[in-house]
Amino acid sequence: MIFLAGALLLLLALFGTPLFVVITAAAMLRFAHAGINLSVIPIEIYRLAETPVLLAIPLFTFAGYLVSESRAPGRLVRLSHALLGWMPGGFAIISLSACALFTAFNGASGVTIIALGALIYPALKEAGYSERFSLGLVTASGSLGVLFAPALPLILYGIIAQQQGVGGSFTIDQLFLAGLLPGMLMVGMLSAWSIWKNRGQPLHPFTPRAAWEAIRESIWELPLPVIVLGGIYSGFFAVSEAAAVTTLYVIIVEVFIYREIAIRELPRIMRESMLLVGAIMVILGASMASTNALIDAQVPTHLFELLRSQIHDKLAFLALLNVFLLFIGTMLDIFSAVVIMVPLLLPVAVGYGIDPVHLGIIFLANMQLGYFTPPVGMDLFLSSFRFDKSIIEVYRATLPFFFILLIAVLIITYWPALSLTLTGR
Amino acid sequence: MSNEHPDRGGPVARLGRVVGAVENFLITVLLTGMILLAGGQIILRDIWHMALSWGDPLLRVSVLWIGLLGAMIATREGKHIHINVLQRLVPPRLATISRALNDLISALICGTVSYYAVLFVLMDKEAGTRAFASVQSWVCEIIIPIGFGVMALRFLLCFLQRLMGKTPPLEDRIQTP
Repeated sequence: MIFLAGALLLLLALFGTPLFVVITAAAMLRFAHAGINLSVIPIEIYRLAETPVLLAIPLFTFAGYLVSESRAPGRLVRLSHALLGWMPGGFAIISLSACALFTAFNGASGVTIIALGALIYPALKEAGYSERFSLGLVTASGSLGVLFAPALPLILYGIIAQQQGVGGSFTIDQLFLAGLLPGMLMVGMLSAWSIWKNRGQPLHPFTPRAAWEAIRESIWELPLPVIVLGGIYSGFFAVSEAAAVTTLYVIIVEVFIYREIAIRELPRIMRESMLLVGAIMVILGASMASTNALIDAQVPTHLFELLRSQIHDKLAFLALLNVFLLFIGTMLDIFSAVVIMVPLLLPVAVGYGIDPVHLGIIFLANMQLGYFTPPVGMDLFLSSFRFDKSIIEVYRATLPFFFILLIAVLIITYWPALSLTLTGR
Repeated sequence: MSNEHPDRGGPVARLGRVVGAVENFLITVLLTGMILLAGGQIILRDIWHMALSWGDPLLRVSVLWIGLLGAMIATREGKHIHINVLQRLVPPRLATISRALNDLISALICGTVSYYAVLFVLMDKEAGTRAFASVQSWVCEIIIPIGFGVMALRFLLCFLQRLMGKTPPLEDRIQTP
């Protein structure tokens, strides 16, 4: 009976029923089955008002939307070119870093390809990079950066995992620290490949004048990464405080100093950004209820016992996890994947002796790769659509990037110390 | 409310527009207030070493409100997060039926949440519990029944429009931006 209901819900989800509805329905069925009054559902939803760190989500999302609406992406591209155009693969490297930074602010919802990729792609070709390389780079870096603060998926993982309270407690700040080296590994490996691949490429001489002008042009935005990353990583700001400071700073810079966003535009940008926040929040609220239902029904325990009888060691489990998460990453967007999968996976992974902080990094690294895993990764379609290329061309262009990041993901998965060293766990 | 007939120029459509305008207004005011209050708290703390005791709880409740208002707008614009692999693969007629079914189920689930949320709010109102300062809990919670109620009605309206062979204005629920 329960199995039938589950299959029905899955079918509904695959036919496009909003995920928060499917998750809420699952929780309701479970509670009704156990004879628990359904009033627990609004009570669980109200917990959205009792989780302080959630404040960071609307604030960072709004700040991210503001930056995307301004001409900041163009300034970032010009600055990159002026500073590193002289070095083989230099512009590619800076493009990768810029995309990672941008995605960290936007939380990997495809905005990077649309807002920044659209500027980087022609600039790369103009700088002498081949069309295929440029297309691949832009598509692959559309999700690069989800491991850096203040990426929303990281915050969301922290919230969900803490709510479960298995495997020992940790802070969001620790999660941010854990993402640092793995994120740099990804950017580093792609950079090394970019240099090697473009070693014979014509270079643009460095002129101090152009560099100075590019710096002056973006002088107000340059402190932003320092405020956010420095503030959070040094522990000076709590996550929600950093979000408040960032938002205020971005408003002052984009609206009052650069004057690229008119005040009358703000309500529209607020509405658009809060629509995304609302879509995430109802899923989160629904999952607060369904997670309790899951634990109540001992689903993770049963799942663990089932797996344990088949898979005995941690390494085999990690391999299975990689395949599974890659698959999930091509199907679900990163937010719903975290909310739906973490409550199921975390207790199982902890059972296999995996640190919850490490699991978060593994999870998100896989999701990031899932975004452009052929044949159905979302960013592949986005890129094909945005740059007017056939999907086959996009597959071919992204394939080398995919294999490099696959190696990075494997290193991240099987070398826990890379994630955990900085956190002191 | 099942006797509501979707009619573009009729009272239902007008009511929809009024509710939409209220949502837009509230979300702008709330977010602006949140940014100012959250920033103000930091300035107060770092410069004058003080804090408004009601500031943090008010911010937390605002997050719930903004989340649900955002979800109401997402329903209005048909932009809830969803997976859509099968609808593209089946014949158009079946896809239309599945869309109508999605709306009906969403309306039912949201309606049920709204109903139990009303009970939850009434219970807290009777108990007179306080959330913070002199603000009563039920005032903070009231957005849950309202939010899910409005979402239920919007889904229902969509369903009825599909039954009548019309395409609701919130067609094209694509996931990618």
